[in-house]
Amino acid sequence: MNTLTRTIAAATMLAGGLLASTAYATDLRVTVWVSAKEQLDMLNGFAAGFKKTHPDVNVTFESIPAANYTQKLTLEIAGGNTPDLGWIMEDSAPTFEQAGVLMDLAPTLKNTPDYDFADFSAPAMGLWQNNGKVYAIPFSTSPFLIYYNKTLFDQARVEDPEQLAAKGEWTMDKFREVAKAIKDATGVYGFEFKDGQGYESRVMHAIMPPIRAYGGDAWVNGQCGLDTDQAVAAMTVLHDMVFKDKSIVPPGDQSDFFAGAAAMTINQISRVPTLKTANFKWGLAPLPTGPAGAAPIIGQAAIAVFASGKNAQIAADFAAYMTNKQNVATMAKFFPPARKSVLADKAFLTSNPAISAAQMQYVADGIANGKVLPSNVKSPQILAAMAPKIDAFWKADADPKQAMQAVCSVVKPLL
Amino acid sequence: MTWSSARVRLAYRICWVLALAALAIPFVFPFLWMLSAAFKSINEIFGQPSLIPTTWHWENFVELFTYQPFAQQYFNSIYIALLVMVLTLVVSSLAGYAFARIRFAGAGLLMLFLLSALMVPDEVTIIPNFFLFKWLGLMDTHVPLILLPVFGPRGIMATFLMRQYFLALPKEIEEAGKVDGLTRFGIWWRIAVPVARPALAAVAIISFLDSWNLFLEPLVFISSINRFTLPLALNNFTDPYGLPLWNLQLAATSLAVIPVLGIYIVAQRQIIESFAMSGVKG
Amino acid sequence: MAGWLFASPILLGFLIFFVGPLIAVAIYSLEDWNLLTQQATFIGLSNYTNALTANPDFWLVIRNSLVFSAGLVPLNMALALVLALALSRKSFGSVFFRTLFFAPVVTSAVAWAIVWRFLLQGDGGVVNQMLALVGIHGPNWLRDPNWAMVVVIVTRVIKMVGLNMILYIAALQSISDEYAEAARLDGANGWQIFWQITWPLLAPTTLVILVITTIGSFKVFDHIYLMTNGGPENGTLVLAFYIYQQAFKFFATGYASALAMIMFVLVLVLTLIQLALRRKGAL
Repeated sequence: MNTLTRTIAAATMLAGGLLASTAYATDLRVTVWVSAKEQLDMLNGFAAGFKKTHPDVNVTFESIPAANYTQKLTLEIAGGNTPDLGWIMEDSAPTFEQAGVLMDLAPTLKNTPDYDFADFSAPAMGLWQNNGKVYAIPFSTSPFLIYYNKTLFDQARVEDPEQLAAKGEWTMDKFREVAKAIKDATGVYGFEFKDGQGYESRVMHAIMPPIRAYGGDAWVNGQCGLDTDQAVAAMTVLHDMVFKDKSIVPPGDQSDFFAGAAAMTINQISRVPTLKTANFKWGLAPLPTGPAGAAPIIGQAAIAVFASGKNAQIAADFAAYMTNKQNVATMAKFFPPARKSVLADKAFLTSNPAISAAQMQYVADGIANGKVLPSNVKSPQILAAMAPKIDAFWKADADPKQAMQAVCSVVKPLL
Repeated sequence: MTWSSARVRLAYRICWVLALAALAIPFVFPFLWMLSAAFKSINEIFGQPSLIPTTWHWENFVELFTYQPFAQQYFNSIYIALLVMVLTLVVSSLAGYAFARIRFAGAGLLMLFLLSALMVPDEVTIIPNFFLFKWLGLMDTHVPLILLPVFGPRGIMATFLMRQYFLALPKEIEEAGKVDGLTRFGIWWRIAVPVARPALAAVAIISFLDSWNLFLEPLVFISSINRFTLPLALNNFTDPYGLPLWNLQLAATSLAVIPVLGIYIVAQRQIIESFAMSGVKG
Repeated sequence: MAGWLFASPILLGFLIFFVGPLIAVAIYSLEDWNLLTQQATFIGLSNYTNALTANPDFWLVIRNSLVFSAGLVPLNMALALVLALALSRKSFGSVFFRTLFFAPVVTSAVAWAIVWRFLLQGDGGVVNQMLALVGIHGPNWLRDPNWAMVVVIVTRVIKMVGLNMILYIAALQSISDEYAEAARLDGANGWQIFWQITWPLLAPTTLVILVITTIGSFKVFDHIYLMTNGGPENGTLVLAFYIYQQAFKFFATGYASALAMIMFVLVLVLTLIQLALRRKGAL
């Protein structure tokens, strides 16, 4: 062949090769709510790992601020700009599932070698499964824990929650007792609701742990459970603690556990890093048990594949990859895993230098047995309807039973 | 003992300054707290609101830049706000002058129509605008962030402001211009605009500030993290669960205040100084 | 002709970015449209009848909005004028003070709310501690259904008055000193100079500030969200907040659009009233 022909042939082959590879190249877009370099690096690491077995798949992660995540994601879907995969927040799970926008991942997961679906803790999968269909895979399962200020407990000469839990005495009654003891001895509040928002944006986080410990629940089978005897009993304890014992940070008060102005609070393991700069000793304990026993509570987030995407199957493969045993162990640094094998691994129990192995065991137990907060397709509407009635509950002269009946009266029509 | 009138004036002046200072405390305290919180650890922020941190955490500021492309986002906000400011000044002073001075059919009614743009909340008009810009292929660009403030409700508010200001000016100065043979545009550019410096400075402050604080529009239109503007970037400083890292957010906010205050100080000087220089006498 | 040319940019923008979307919003308001499922069914005026007749929350929200605006607008304008009069000359410290009073405008809404929620605590809040010095027992401001709205209004006024102050200062600059000088020579005192010379000359600016502040007061959302989250007992739930809830929390885009149209009509009527009063010389 002469030079010209050879050049043309080479160019054609090159073009053909390029065309072939671009024809097969797939771009997957995943929406997430983290934007810190540390976490994005980890996620991009997963993308790189996936590329090893799928060389023509490029995965990019799109950061959306957490506070507006669900809104922006919904807008993208409505605007025809649906991502291929997305993280889903626990409170919007029913909405997304019912809207039919999520792909059923069960077949993909079953067919992925070494995936071991049974490795996931059954209660942890509760929210994301329906009738054998798997709509999303939880990548973060974080139990509610009691944080306590050891320095204050020592100062008031009161046994701390961990000691009491070890003896099996960490009950709601004891919880009330130690809170009052600390308030009386030191003048510092005994307990603060989660993130200081128990009266405003975190109402469920505040009332569900005691209610469940007493054997009640927010709603069961379309019935409002907030005015049952168990629920009212739990709420009465809280009400008395706020207004009679004055041991819980009252409405409007900005005292914060992390600033040392409350002896206990409920929160998840994600807040441990903020205690690095705390000027008091602290510890973790499980939630107090009630007449109905232990009722651990978990907060979750999951990853889902959107059914309308062009590359739904590849996206499903990526979702399976991201949640396999190895990658779940990597993510455990930031997000507690729902895989029993990872939880049982010694590496997990010793992964955080600030938390003792015993305390990590509380986390593991919570994940294994915990239930999520009550969920409902109409959660936002229910919470908005509840808000004024809950405000009325948190008044010194309110009668707990009547106030909770008022709450149920607005919740029932929405169930 | 009788006091000289100069002494009385001085005493009066001192009382006046003290009263103003007392009134200013609730205005300024949160601002100073915000600056001091930028140096605090996350625990201390929710302790007693003190103005002096117990330890100065300079590393908060360093962490801002390692967390996400903060410098890029900062620059984005600046150039967008400057563009919006300049464009708003031009568009609103042109239109404001027209509505105030030029007799053209339907001016009054038109002004009212324009005003109605202010009356619908952004949260609702953003959805159709979202579809519009998507159709134009301008998603994940800064174009909607520039066009919407300039031509949308805020631009119209600026137009209304300029119109009212031009209305209040005596007509004689423009007569002089007409006699000199200037075109409408010439009159606008050479006479009306210089005289309108106080109003222009006020519009500059307001339009810069509005663009600087825009949150909903960037949230809806921008996807790439290095195209974010500051309000969005601020909301990104959270832990993996979405809980805000207050020390970082407030450090970033404190840095974000600088350009706005800069524009304000320059602009308000224009407002005051132009009084001395305005040729509108008699 | 030149008039149309000068106004054309803003008019064009108005048509594209407002009139178009407004028509779209009007259409959405006639539908039951869930943004997530994207199912839209035409339901005619049901959204409107629902709001006006079947929803007690709606009237509560309207009432709250009217109370909020009625409280905020006069307070804001009066304070802005007083500050502008005090600080519009180049006198000792006026630049400094002008910046102080403008500081809240550039303070982030979040920082503003954090600080004020601290200051307004029931026990141990600074405001109540100061009141205790003069023997007044202050309420738990943000949790008291009677006082929450007042507090929300006052803190909002403090935050935003700097902007109106600037506008008034700009207007005061263009009022020639000669009028005041002549009046003083005639023996008029400060009050008379203000009412008979300054105030009438400020009328165009006063009108624009009145209209803009009124319209703006109906759109306030983030301040209330951060201070009280609409409570206590929905006492500070205003229309902008309600619309945000419907649009972005419940994804009921059709209903939210109807609410926005209602707000539009309400604010338009208020503005027309203000403009008419001006024409009659009452403003």
